[in-house]
Amino acid sequence: MATKTPAAKTESVLSLRQKLARYSTVRNWLLLLVFWEIIGQLRLVADGALPAPSAILARMWVDWADYPPHIWATLEGAGAGFLIGNAVAIAAGVLFATFPLTQRLARGVNVALFALPPIAVSPILVITFSDMTPRIILAAIGCYFVTMSATVTGIQQTDRRIVDVVHAYGGRQWKTLIYAQMRSAIPAILSGLRVAAPNAVLGSILAEFGGGGRFGLGVYLIGSLGRGEPDRLWGIGLSATVIAGLAYLLFSLIATRLTGTSKAVTVPASPPAPKAEKSMVLTLALGTVSFALPFLLWWLMLAIMGTPAMIAKTPVGLFDYLFMMPSSLVSLGKLATALGQTLPMTMVGMAVGLSFAFALALCSVLYTAIIRGFMPVALVTQTMPLVALTPLLVLILGRGPSLILWITVSVTFFPAFVTMAQGLSMVSRAAIEVPKAYGAGPFRQLWLVSIPASLPYLFAATRLAVPRALLGVMIAEWLATGKGLGNLLNQSRGYLDYGMIWSVSVVSVLISVLFYQIVVAIEQRVLSKRGMAPAQ
Amino acid sequence: MNAEHGITINQVSRSFTGRGTLVQALSDVSLDCPEGSFTALIGPSGCGKSTLLRLALGLDAPDSGQVLISGMTPQAAAKSGKTGVAFQDAALMPWRTVEDNILLPLDVLGRKRSAYHDEVAKLVKLVGLDGFEKALPGELSGGMRQRAAIARALVTRPEILFLDEPFGALDQILRRQMNVELQRIWMESNATTLLVTHGIDEAIFLADRVVVMQSKPGRISRIIDVPFDRPRTPDLFAHPTFHALEKEIAEALDGH
Ligand SMILES: Nc1ncnc2c1ncn2[C@@H]1O[C@H](COP(=O)(O)OP(=O)(O)O)[C@@H](O)[C@H]1O
Ligand SMILES: [Mg+2]
Repeated sequence: MATKTPAAKTESVLSLRQKLARYSTVRNWLLLLVFWEIIGQLRLVADGALPAPSAILARMWVDWADYPPHIWATLEGAGAGFLIGNAVAIAAGVLFATFPLTQRLARGVNVALFALPPIAVSPILVITFSDMTPRIILAAIGCYFVTMSATVTGIQQTDRRIVDVVHAYGGRQWKTLIYAQMRSAIPAILSGLRVAAPNAVLGSILAEFGGGGRFGLGVYLIGSLGRGEPDRLWGIGLSATVIAGLAYLLFSLIATRLTGTSKAVTVPASPPAPKAEKSMVLTLALGTVSFALPFLLWWLMLAIMGTPAMIAKTPVGLFDYLFMMPSSLVSLGKLATALGQTLPMTMVGMAVGLSFAFALALCSVLYTAIIRGFMPVALVTQTMPLVALTPLLVLILGRGPSLILWITVSVTFFPAFVTMAQGLSMVSRAAIEVPKAYGAGPFRQLWLVSIPASLPYLFAATRLAVPRALLGVMIAEWLATGKGLGNLLNQSRGYLDYGMIWSVSVVSVLISVLFYQIVVAIEQRVLSKRGMAPAQ
Repeated sequence: MNAEHGITINQVSRSFTGRGTLVQALSDVSLDCPEGSFTALIGPSGCGKSTLLRLALGLDAPDSGQVLISGMTPQAAAKSGKTGVAFQDAALMPWRTVEDNILLPLDVLGRKRSAYHDEVAKLVKLVGLDGFEKALPGELSGGMRQRAAIARALVTRPEILFLDEPFGALDQILRRQMNVELQRIWMESNATTLLVTHGIDEAIFLADRVVVMQSKPGRISRIIDVPFDRPRTPDLFAHPTFHALEKEIAEALDGH
């Protein structure tokens, strides 16, 4: 085939470039490893809290017999959750994309599932369900939102022209879905699964933190926390990371395999389908139902499970506990104190993490070398169950407030950086070169082009950061600092104060959702004023 | 007139509202294409040619007026497999091979593929894609993709054929070649054909009638008959009557 030659040529040029990039990535990693080894050997960080890689490996060798049951248990929870969560997510995504009304109805449930800090619901899952179920549920929740939104976007972005061809032969909803939409959504769904895979591992581990079961990497981690053996903790943390990373890699490989054939051959020219007409009454009704639906599901779930009212609080039961009982005032007081400790930390950590990420992402536009050196590291952290590594940070940073700040900043920084840097790299060269042609310096270029163009990604990063920041703070409080909502949750577990466990869970989910909604509201106002669309 | 396999467009209007402004894409358009006729639709960009085609295919509904295909509603005609279509853009599915793309209408219509094996082989040969049956669209040139799209339009042996600037993306030489091929295909199939085009010469070479449209609002301004016998050969492009017709259409396009 004569037409194949030029394509093959560009491919080989590309792969050469990729090789070079890979080479420098490998070099960076090797340097990092050597640096780490030296620091570890010299016990430079917190008197040996950061052991050398060689010491960690040696310890893993010694502990090797302990690992298999823990790894299997975590894999079992994560795997089952991954399958169930994604199956539900894809089905829901298809439903939402085909009937947009259902998406608006389910918005409340979707946002709650996205924003809920897994650690906050872990204890109520452990008291309501038994065995592996809490792990499976948290792993499934970790997958749901990512895959569901990927499916909806994938289906909605189906080339209109292809849909037209199917319609022109009398194919309607069902046939369009089979022949055009599902297949063209596959790349998007796969990239969703890629992100969902490490999320499932994280979900399982966080559920293990909440108790229930003797095996699992999370159980192993918590059990080893008190013994002050940094090398073992690091070994466990790294195993969790490797598992999550491998899951990510697997789906990356499948994705690159498949997407090669399904890239559109030309750019679609027709505009996307117009939005449905807006009616005030309908919007209001949909909003109300969508708000009520999560509470209804909560109540329905407990009714079906038949858990005793003493343990499982329905919305009404919780209201009684917080407002109608003699002890209500004390409970509310505790809750308020904890909130007063958790909220400022969350805000500050998130603000610092986001600012750093934004600043570094902007720098990476000016100095592309930064991105080449740093992006691989940032990408790997995406696959790490970062918050599951909190115990390691406890070792290094102690149990003070600085720990919380570090965790929150790191948990928000990396995903925000990746989102913003990738967004900025999509700003067209031509747009940047126009002001350049008129003699604008690098900072004027940033001000005129990159910053305005990056707004959608800044908001996308913030939406992502909100629940993560709260999760980071709560885990640090739970495991280390003994303050705030996380600690209250952990304590109430010990006192079997079921009312308080439910209160903290529900309050943290509500706060997370509230923050999320505030960000979305600001985003809509700012972006619509500039005629921009929100980024994924 | 309600021809058995013809197209009847009766006082059709269609407008779009985009960001507050109202665009009258079609205003009171009527057109009859008798069975077995070849009609070319020509007009400035944005005059509603594609809109008219989409109405005839049932991809869109008119605000007022009526479209009948073989005496049926466009949607019923589409469902019964009477129509074939090729768009300006090949609109092939990038994940299907050339052959599978050509077979797509059969899949959608729920017909057995096996009954069409010979047909597909014949079509592939006809559009000059033999040897590329298993190639993916991404591996083909623009012209080859367009030819695959035309084969797809013909696979159901349609009684009515809609072509929306099918050769718009091709270079002049390939375009002439495809014009000759299309005439041959059409004479074999005898399908009622509605061709949207930008090329005056293409319109005259292929059609029995050239329908000239004007924009703002989109409407038919003139219908010009083409008297040449078939099969028409490429020497026709140099014929004096051909030039006269070209001039007449160009003037009609300018609004004379
Ligand atoms: N889906 C749509 N939404 C809004 N405007 C449309 C749509 N489809 C067509 N139009 C408008 O209708 C007019 C006619 O379009 P079209 O039929 O595509 O013209 P053409 O003759 O170039 O094929 C144009 O002004 C176009 O902008
Ligand atoms: Mg058009």
